[in-house]
Amino acid sequence: MSEIESGIRKVFAEVWKQEKGTTAPEMKADTVLLDSGLDSLGFAIFVSMLDEELGFDPFTLSDDSYYPQTFAEFVAFYEKYQPRA
Amino acid sequence: MTPLSDQINVSAILAADGSVTTREDLCLFTPLKSLGPDARVALCFDDPLLLLRAIVALDGRVASMLLLSGSLDAATVGQLIARAGCAALLTDHPDLGGVAGAAGLEEGIGKGHIAPTTQTTWLMTTSGTTGIPKIVPHSLKSLARSVYRFAPAEAPTWGLLYDPTRFAGLQVTLQALIGGGRLVVADTHRPIAEQIAALARQGVTHLSATPTLWRRILMVPGHRDLPLKQVTLGGEIADQATMDALRVSFPAARVTHIYASTEAGVGFSVNDGRAGFPEAYLSAAPGGTRLKLVDGILWLRPATAAAPGSDVEVDADGYVRSGDMIETRGDRLHFLGRENGVINVGGVKFFPETVEDAVKTVPGVALVQVTSKKNPITGTLVVAEIQVQDGADPAIVKQAILDTCRAKLVREAVPAIVRFVDGFETNAAGKLVRKGATSG
Repeated sequence: MSEIESGIRKVFAEVWKQEKGTTAPEMKADTVLLDSGLDSLGFAIFVSMLDEELGFDPFTLSDDSYYPQTFAEFVAFYEKYQPRA
Repeated sequence: MTPLSDQINVSAILAADGSVTTREDLCLFTPLKSLGPDARVALCFDDPLLLLRAIVALDGRVASMLLLSGSLDAATVGQLIARAGCAALLTDHPDLGGVAGAAGLEEGIGKGHIAPTTQTTWLMTTSGTTGIPKIVPHSLKSLARSVYRFAPAEAPTWGLLYDPTRFAGLQVTLQALIGGGRLVVADTHRPIAEQIAALARQGVTHLSATPTLWRRILMVPGHRDLPLKQVTLGGEIADQATMDALRVSFPAARVTHIYASTEAGVGFSVNDGRAGFPEAYLSAAPGGTRLKLVDGILWLRPATAAAPGSDVEVDADGYVRSGDMIETRGDRLHFLGRENGVINVGGVKFFPETVEDAVKTVPGVALVQVTSKKNPITGTLVVAEIQVQDGADPAIVKQAILDTCRAKLVREAVPAIVRFVDGFETNAAGKLVRKGATSG
């Protein structure tokens, strides 16, 4: 598991706890993000907290007009736009 | 004014359960004797089809109709009815049975035809951040002003994803009812992926949603199955990334975003799929509305003399101050947000001060400043910066802030991000310096 992916999983668990007050369900590679149980607002908070945690937001950096649908696509999207040292 | 029942051109309304209501079915009903031309009637339905039946039967035949969202609780419904002076409530909500005057739709309308004798006032409610929604009067004429009448051969299939008692939902509903075509009503209690699949199965060609809802649709696997010819964005500032993604997903569709000014009572649409609007609109805007920029604020003069609200600013030439801030980039004018600092999260608008007032009541909070942060999913999110009192535990204070805000505010206004700071910049008067909030 990449550092980005473990960071994403950690923040997802935190957002879930904050928004739902329960333990987050497991995200599998083919989990459809919309089926994860987070609504638009929850998902927005997830993206903003990732920005605070990882220091970047691929939705803003990307010119691709792309919206990932599965968890694996979401992780790949973040890995692609990870700032290079 | 021609009543709604004499303007119905919709060929069929398709409900989520598969039922079909034809134009003829819709026009079968008229008010019973208990509801005369002086009656003020509140309508609150979970089933949008019942609401449509009621407004078609009642328009032109009762004094006023108060359109209430099926999601309101009984206490709020009771207060709104009292404020609007309604003696009757037609509803399909079992838990509204205790409200005075509550009855089922069949106790208010029945088969038959009574000639229209009056101009009905349509009372709409606006979503408020706290407390009770405001009641705003409209007429069918003003609500249906922008309806486009389609030739039968070009008749579209509209999808309805909004609550039809809200302004945006009623616009789609009236467009379909009067403008012709079919209307497919989604069951908004179902997950979005199921709603989109249902709309795709029914061949929806025209769909309107907020940018936030569109971004959610873009994340639905299979959203490309929607055979869209028209994609409309409204209710929030439309950004280029979202419109580009929509063009990729729906290459056959025209992408339109709508700007509407509540202050001026008018708006215009932009059809080129680009964010903002052309500078050329300052010399000639669509629909005959005149526009001008004064110190970065957009002013509008409606083509027909509108009656702007009492608290709006109008200049000597009849232009109304919209309160929307504009930035010029090349030959394009872009919306920056509201000059009064109103935050718009996914189409829900509120003042940062309302959130601050709620946060200030939490024990352990010394100072609070609420701003907005750009967000690619909902346009903006609420950020609360907190200075805690000496000795207070930030973790406990944060949980208390969330609990308090969730109890007092709509969900969109609850701070998404709570940051703890050591201090704030204050001005000479000792007031917090409000940083330039980014509205999106």
